[in-house]
Amino acid sequence: MAPFDIAVNLGAGAYYFIYLPIGFAFGFILESSGFGDSRQLAAQFYFRELRVLKVMFTAIIVAMTLIFWSTALGLLDYDMIWVNPTYLWPGIAGGLIMGVGFILGGYCPGTSLVSVATLKIDGMFFLLGLVAGVVLFGETVSYIDAFWHSSDMGTFTLPELLHLETGVVVFLVVCLALVMFIGFEWLRGRLYGSSR
Amino acid sequence: MKRHLDLRVPGAVALLLAAAGLAWHGQPDIAQKWDLLAPEFTQQLTEREVYIDPGELLQLMNNDYIDLLIFDVRNESDWNQFHLVDAEHINLAELPAQRDRLLSLPENAVLVVVSNDEMLATEAWQHLMVIARPNAYILAGGLNLWLNIYGVPEEEVAGHGKANLARPDGTLRHRFTLSLGNRHAAARPDEHRTAPRAYTAKVKLLKKIVKAGGCS
Repeated sequence: MAPFDIAVNLGAGAYYFIYLPIGFAFGFILESSGFGDSRQLAAQFYFRELRVLKVMFTAIIVAMTLIFWSTALGLLDYDMIWVNPTYLWPGIAGGLIMGVGFILGGYCPGTSLVSVATLKIDGMFFLLGLVAGVVLFGETVSYIDAFWHSSDMGTFTLPELLHLETGVVVFLVVCLALVMFIGFEWLRGRLYGSSR
Repeated sequence: MKRHLDLRVPGAVALLLAAAGLAWHGQPDIAQKWDLLAPEFTQQLTEREVYIDPGELLQLMNNDYIDLLIFDVRNESDWNQFHLVDAEHINLAELPAQRDRLLSLPENAVLVVVSNDEMLATEAWQHLMVIARPNAYILAGGLNLWLNIYGVPEEEVAGHGKANLARPDGTLRHRFTLSLGNRHAAARPDEHRTAPRAYTAKVKLLKKIVKAGGCS
């Protein structure tokens, strides 16, 4: 039953090389979806361009459905998958900072790497700023340690929040995503008078 | 003009049906998960690879290099009558709540599950393997065997009566007239005052402990 310990089963060399095709596929999909262009990414926030929402949310709901069907069929042990613990207020603050950075800069960390791979100058400067921000944060996080580790909720997922079966939550999230896709398309048509 | 095949609607319908099917099918509970994991772990039980001798547990209790956790999964009445020093009283239903803690245990951590005999502890061990797969073991013979070995006769006057071997499996066969908890001498026997036991060591650490300090 998955997840398999690849480092043990295949050895350290194969373990590292598995990341190469995964990374290649991820970068390929991002670039071919147009995620290497900051103008298209930033347009998401003005409802002119919905591909970020559609591609990302589709990836999330497809992966989610596959993961939980795999656990339901006994192919995957979900309990052995790492789920990030929730630190509520630091998470909200971090999300706001990243969101503002995304709107202003036109990239998130991953898409800035995609843009650099296609030699976009704005992506290169964004990446420089990103590295500087990472270093600055790493050097100063000890000063905000109390906040950084506050509101620790452990591994907290939607089924626990809603007190519903995991499968029901998956169904509701898929419904939510589809309603959002339709709703935002409608909104875009109202705002800009076109529909794609 | 070239027309693209629009798969958005069929894709959305397929995903919706898959999600609805998942909601109907549900996720496996602990017993069903154990059935799926059993081929991986049953050998450890049948070969008794995870049943440790009381002598090994006593050695672990006195080993400062090991982060030892003892989960006592018996009922509250038995727990109140007698339990080991530093043991935690956790029943089977409470084990899933320990998941985050178990997943973040250090590599030198060893978890030992105890019950009156082995039956309940074995069930708890199966739950633990489903929940977090910690480096966990079961006290062989349970606390009944532990008390047979380390419960000294003088304590008959201090609330610990003679063992009643006629009592059924799974129950505490040692009779207590007082709730001694961990105040009983056998709750943490003095390793140097007990007769050494011959046993096969079974505990394997995830990380080799280096018993040295400084730069050596």
